[in-house]
Amino acid sequence: MGESEKYNSDKGDYVSLKEQEEWRDVTPIPQEEEPNTVCPIAYTDEYSDMMSYLRAVMAKREVSQRALDLTGRVIEVNPGHYTVWMYRKQLVEELGTDSESELDWVAEISEIHHKNYQLWHYREALISRLLDQKTAEALTQDQLVRHPVIRRELLFATTAIDGDSKNFHAWSYRQWIVRTYGIWDQELVFVDAMINEDVRNNSAWNQRYFVLMGNGSRRPEKNLDSPLEDSLVDREIAYAIEKIKLAPNNESPWSYITGLLLRHAPARLYNTLLPKLQGLAAEGSGYATSITTTPMYWSTLVDIYERQAKDLPDQASVLLDMARDACDLLASDHDPMRGKYWEFRKSQLCADATD
Amino acid sequence: MANLFSYDFRYDDNEHETETSEAQKEVEDRIGRVYMRLVDPQTLPLGGEIDDTKHRLLRAKHEQLINDSIHGLSSVFTVLDSSQPWIPFWCLNSLDVMGSDIDDRLRRHTMDTLRRMHCPSGGFRSDPWQLPHLASSYAAVMALVVVGGEDAYSVVDRHAMYRWLMEMKQQDGSFAVHTGGEIDVRGIYCALVIASMLNIMTCELVSGCAEFIARCQTFEGGIGPYPGVEAHGGYTLCGLAALEILGITDVLDLGRLAKWMCVRQMPFEGGFNGRTNKLVDGCYSYWVGGAFPLLQKALRRTANDDYLYERPALQRYILACCQDTRLGGLRDKPGKHPDLYHTMYCLIGLSLSQHYVGVDPAQEIADKSSVFSVPARMMQWGAVPARAKIIGARINILRPVHPVYGISFGPLAQGIKYFYSLPPLAESFV
Repeated sequence: MGESEKYNSDKGDYVSLKEQEEWRDVTPIPQEEEPNTVCPIAYTDEYSDMMSYLRAVMAKREVSQRALDLTGRVIEVNPGHYTVWMYRKQLVEELGTDSESELDWVAEISEIHHKNYQLWHYREALISRLLDQKTAEALTQDQLVRHPVIRRELLFATTAIDGDSKNFHAWSYRQWIVRTYGIWDQELVFVDAMINEDVRNNSAWNQRYFVLMGNGSRRPEKNLDSPLEDSLVDREIAYAIEKIKLAPNNESPWSYITGLLLRHAPARLYNTLLPKLQGLAAEGSGYATSITTTPMYWSTLVDIYERQAKDLPDQASVLLDMARDACDLLASDHDPMRGKYWEFRKSQLCADATD
Repeated sequence: MANLFSYDFRYDDNEHETETSEAQKEVEDRIGRVYMRLVDPQTLPLGGEIDDTKHRLLRAKHEQLINDSIHGLSSVFTVLDSSQPWIPFWCLNSLDVMGSDIDDRLRRHTMDTLRRMHCPSGGFRSDPWQLPHLASSYAAVMALVVVGGEDAYSVVDRHAMYRWLMEMKQQDGSFAVHTGGEIDVRGIYCALVIASMLNIMTCELVSGCAEFIARCQTFEGGIGPYPGVEAHGGYTLCGLAALEILGITDVLDLGRLAKWMCVRQMPFEGGFNGRTNKLVDGCYSYWVGGAFPLLQKALRRTANDDYLYERPALQRYILACCQDTRLGGLRDKPGKHPDLYHTMYCLIGLSLSQHYVGVDPAQEIADKSSVFSVPARMMQWGAVPARAKIIGARINILRPVHPVYGISFGPLAQGIKYFYSLPPLAESFV
């Protein structure tokens, strides 16, 4: 490091804080150079410099614009610095910084650092302060969706999802907003749009389940095994079938509808879903080949027959035979990579039969 | 068909192209080229069989990368400034699993480094100016156990750690990862690994954990970070391992979990993905692959039944696709840069695939859910040599690791022996 502290960074020449008039009054606290450290990081001069001054202001518990600006610059370079995010949160609160401009700043950070954890958590905290639940409870879903704060957050999450359709944090953040402010209806519309964009987007399918469980209520997750209204079940079965037809060899709609029905309307597995699937698998349906060559079809049959056998014990023997045949077919032809699993699955069916 | 490789297993997009299917096909193209180089040409007329005898774990190259990293890291690692306790863990655990030498000097320096990262009021953080973090604390404690010896163990103030864990504890049974930090299943895993190792488990600490994890199991069968969020490999291991520590894995729907885990293995690539319709990644060799021994125990299967996934196919993926032959170290997939995180998780994933690690169900310990049964239950785990499956050269064999802790049995046993020779906390008896 024979160079002077000035060098070219993306934003122009870096000038050490030591050279800046504004920081004359502060004695920086450099990181102690410990000998024999394992895995020491060779920080850039810029980072070392910024951190030295940041430590100093944190030690003084300084609440100031310059401290705030400094946290911003550190986060830009190292967005994973969760302690600095916390310090920034404190500063924003104590300085009474305009939330709008703070949200803009977070948006800028997210453009550089898409996969960062902390910015979402930070944003949650900002929004909670901007729009508390008590105020929200007085508004209808329609009003909430059009509320500038919420509209902005939904757009923020949507933008992130546009860039990365399965961004884990973005989808999770949407769950937080929807759950906190009870805006379930618009989420179903969003989910629909995302599934139309890519029928294989499993995050969207997971969100669909999430919305259904919220079901218009403002309380969080309903009882895991609570029943669903018949009309809703009809709608979801039809929806899943429609999406299965687009690309049968797609895990998402199969695991969605099976998971949904197993938990909330098991009889509909064999009363409604099964006949529809058999219809698709029949010769002349136009889907016979694509449906019967995807492992998911056979796998779903196993689940359906197993459940049906449990509910209708006098037919159990025949149904379990069919389920076992499907397991064999999967192990040998359609899903040999999961041969050991299908063997296991089959043995479980036998166990049920002898109970 | 030797060890299940076939172009028949390539993804069928039903001629309906979406972003997901295009991305998948691109990865398969890449990996297909790697595998085709390994195909025994004489078998091509019959479809093509991979000669799995040729795979070689490039220990020396990985050791080189790790030793260079121990010596120093470039400024690009600034983004890991707040995760520093992880780095010696990735390095030392990788060396240990490979059976490489960890000399006294390295032990001392690691201890000294981690001592500086220890927060007197509990937990570990990169430096005294950062808040202690649960994930960093987990990594630091595990690294100290890998180092081994009383000097290393006594770096941790158990009482302070307990108090800090209880500060992170939430009403609903979960843990925040730092003061004001996010709450998810990772927190529970880290807290319980630390507490079970350090002999600071109490009823208060574990209360509500199992219920929270159960709520995180989704309709798909896997476990997500928080109730309602998508099932994900990392959180699935965290949840299952935490429940194994608690001795109550049956709060989960194990049938659905088994299905979800098995479907994570990619038929063409052989490795695991982390979520439905996402891409294969070497680190899931541990997060999903490493969960299979835990599942095995939960299902009360024995060593006579194999794990429920294709072990050779995973090992082939790791050895053929995840090793960086030029730079050393292991990676997510071909085309990605190797890094220390992927190095460790690919290696312990490989170990857990090579070895059959389990617990004899006939030796079930009564009163499993008592906090006092934890050390005995954790030490019941061991490798069954007759059930090992090593792909490639025999010398590829790694040290067996414990699926809950991800570290090898020798250091683990020494650590547990030490910490449980200390008196339990007064809080255990409340």
